[in-house]
Amino acid sequence: MVIRSLVSVVDDDESVRESLPDLLRELGFAAQAFSSAEEFLASDCLCQTRCLILDIAMPGMSGPDLQRELTLRRKAIPIVFITAHRDETVRPRLLEQGAVECLFKPFSDTALREALDAAFRPS
Amino acid sequence: MENELSRLVDALPGLVWTARLDGKIDFLNQRWREYTGLSVEEILGADEEYGRGWQAAIHPEDLPGLLERWRSILASREPGEMEARLRRFDGEYRWFLFRACPLADPSALVVKWCGISTDIEDRRRAEEPLHAPWWLRSSERERHFRSIGDSIPALGALMTPAGEIELVNRQVVEYLGATLEELKGQAIGESFHPDDRPDVIARWREAVEAGQPYDFESRLRRADGVYRWFHTRGFPLRDTEGRIVLWYLLHADIDDQKRAEALLAGEKRLLEMVAGGHSMSGILEALCHFVESTASGCYCSVVLVDPSGTHLEHGAAPSLPASFITSIIGRPVNVDSGPCAMASYLNEQVIAADLTSETRWAEYAWCPMALAHGLQACWSTPISSTAGKVLGAFALYYDEPRTPTSLEQSLIEQFTHIASIAVERAQSDASLKRSEAFLAEAQHLSSIGSYLWRAATDEITWSEETYRIFELDQTAPVTWERISTRVHPEDLPAFKKQVERCRRDGGNVEFEFRLQMPNRSVKYVRLVSHSSRDESGQLEYTGTIQDMTERRLSEEALGKVRSELAHMARVTSLGALTASIAHEVSQPLSGIITNASTCLRMLAADPPNVDGARETARRTIRDGNRASDVITRLRALFSRKNATTESVDLNEATREVITLLLRELQRSRAILRAELADDLPPVTGDRVQLQQVILNLLLNASDAMSGVDDRPRELVIRTEIDESDRVRLTVQDAGVGFEPQSADKLFEPFYTTKGGGMGIGLSVSRSIIESHHGRLWAAPNDGPGATFSFSIPRRPENIKRARSLGATWTPAVMDAQHVMRNP
Repeated sequence: MVIRSLVSVVDDDESVRESLPDLLRELGFAAQAFSSAEEFLASDCLCQTRCLILDIAMPGMSGPDLQRELTLRRKAIPIVFITAHRDETVRPRLLEQGAVECLFKPFSDTALREALDAAFRPS
Repeated sequence: MENELSRLVDALPGLVWTARLDGKIDFLNQRWREYTGLSVEEILGADEEYGRGWQAAIHPEDLPGLLERWRSILASREPGEMEARLRRFDGEYRWFLFRACPLADPSALVVKWCGISTDIEDRRRAEEPLHAPWWLRSSERERHFRSIGDSIPALGALMTPAGEIELVNRQVVEYLGATLEELKGQAIGESFHPDDRPDVIARWREAVEAGQPYDFESRLRRADGVYRWFHTRGFPLRDTEGRIVLWYLLHADIDDQKRAEALLAGEKRLLEMVAGGHSMSGILEALCHFVESTASGCYCSVVLVDPSGTHLEHGAAPSLPASFITSIIGRPVNVDSGPCAMASYLNEQVIAADLTSETRWAEYAWCPMALAHGLQACWSTPISSTAGKVLGAFALYYDEPRTPTSLEQSLIEQFTHIASIAVERAQSDASLKRSEAFLAEAQHLSSIGSYLWRAATDEITWSEETYRIFELDQTAPVTWERISTRVHPEDLPAFKKQVERCRRDGGNVEFEFRLQMPNRSVKYVRLVSHSSRDESGQLEYTGTIQDMTERRLSEEALGKVRSELAHMARVTSLGALTASIAHEVSQPLSGIITNASTCLRMLAADPPNVDGARETARRTIRDGNRASDVITRLRALFSRKNATTESVDLNEATREVITLLLRELQRSRAILRAELADDLPPVTGDRVQLQQVILNLLLNASDAMSGVDDRPRELVIRTEIDESDRVRLTVQDAGVGFEPQSADKLFEPFYTTKGGGMGIGLSVSRSIIESHHGRLWAAPNDGPGATFSFSIPRRPENIKRARSLGATWTPAVMDAQHVMRNP
């Protein structure tokens, strides 16, 4: 039994929460979906999560807010941001602040795969 | 014998004489001598005059006839008779019969003449026919003349045709202060004013020559040296043969009448100066001169109250020394500084009859100053406007103490009145000129001219600036023909149509057209006009013409930049919309793609995970539906955004949009005509959203005409109340139009007939109108182009405040869904 790395998905959009874990499993990861940052922080998965796929704009705590929170808690989880706002200026800022990648919705499975590869590449 | 005979002859009771054959008198008896009072020597005459001296006793008028008769008697050598007036020693002429008989010697040869003269005065008087005019009855002439002449209220005189005075009546003697004898000794015309004399004489000669009545006005010097005007009429008096024997002259005193006429004429002249727009100082000076010439011996001045009402200003004083006037000017308007200041202050007449004993105005030492200029009396009268405001004072000065007579008071009253007219007129003229100049300057600066057009008479009045814009000569009247020569040929048909429409329908208009100058240069002008009815109900247009050329030229220079900017503005607003659409749609799309990818991977696995794939495919479909829902939600969101209800004046809202769009319309060469109903009731709704609709309709219309070059790009926007009492707005273009069957498709989202269009405008517009409980529809025109209209209910009289946003707007969302789902 291969222990699959856990990839957590935090997005307020239901269709993402439904569809993305299935794809992640097809790609060979374990997957958990959370509808908000708060839910994720409160869950047991926080410690097991090896990679976080995080929506930027969410009601309550936003994606970047969660990123800062994790930094404060010294949880160094690689983060792949996803967003439906196609704002090119956002991406470099997020990468600068330590994100692995920023994907614009809708994104292809290939793009997701590459981002995850980067996230799991030993630094 | 000789002596006896002499005694005998002398004693005869008649005037006896003898003459030689040649007719010369060689003897006159004593009675002859006594009667005439002449001596023998005087009667016979000396030397070559011998035998003619007696003629001096014959009336000069009768002498030529007498001598002629005498010569014929001599020639006939037969006894004969003659009649003539003979002067008695006392100067009186009496008629005598002169009888002469030839004295023959024995051989019957005539050697001498002897004659006898008999007084026939009484007989002749008796013989004078009673119907003969009095002037021919010499005996009665003077008595008659005096009985009439002395009793008439005129100067009367009898004159010989030679211009010698024969008789004058008592009034002449009294008026001229000269006796008849003195007058007879005067040169002709001497009593007349020197200025009139040449004319008097010339007219008299003319009359005598033509035998026509003499009629003339002239001044006659009275005994005290004063000249008065007289109207003289002369009638010729004729003898029985029609010859003029005398002139009867009547001089009627018309001085008072003349004075009144002169006063009236002066007044008229001054008022004409006022009406003719002469300068106020010129008029007041003329007034002073006139008063001075009318009321002789006075000096006249007019001072004015300055605009602040506190000090005196110079008006006119042509005959007073400058030093006197300058010392008055600037004095404060009060009771102390002088008579004019006092009169102005109190609005009452101030009479200072004797300045030597005057005690007023001592504080300002006014009297010593006036006395130093030789003035001893001053009468100052306030000049008041019709509204009762004191404008200044009118003053008369005399160099001797004097109190005004009632005649002078009435003169003062008259001239004060004229002065008030002149001053008031000048002041209102000045303010009018100021405002005219201001207006002209403003018109010039803004390149806006104005005009007035009376439709019934086609009388057109232009301001200076309008002439300048049209580059037409100001001196000739404005006609449609002249205007037509300036309107650009391409715009002329539309221009004429517009003019005819105005003439027919009235109403307000606003449109733009081009002018073409003789040098082919083109001007862009904008016309705004307002119609009204004059007193007689005739249609009148007042309006402005604005020269937009400079603005237009710089606009066209920037044309490309501006159109790009306009495009960018549209892209930006659409960009904002697409960004939010994109965000909302991307979410389900993301799900769709992720699910589809998962599905493919599950099918590609070995063995294929068909159940998983089926599940993900199902989710894909569901996400597709969700994307559609998102768009619907977006639309609802869009409709709710900024939704406010207020009372909206659609005309005003339309005008604002037109203002925003004017340049864009100009750029696309669309000619916009706004026909906004005057009494449009307000509607309830969201002003900005309604304006978006209007903007959208106008832009669509303008775009629809962008390719039109074979006809004017006419664009009409109209507001009105429709048949079902709703407010309707219509936009009519002359563009490419559309097929009737596609009328409904126009309102589908993303349906477009335009190359660069997004096709979202009309559908959004329709949803907005429907959210206002209204209707938006399109119809092709009879001619080229299309008409888009919407109608919405008018604002209820008593709208309930409680009917808040939610309740009002829920149907709007429903309508929007209806539009989106049911294209």
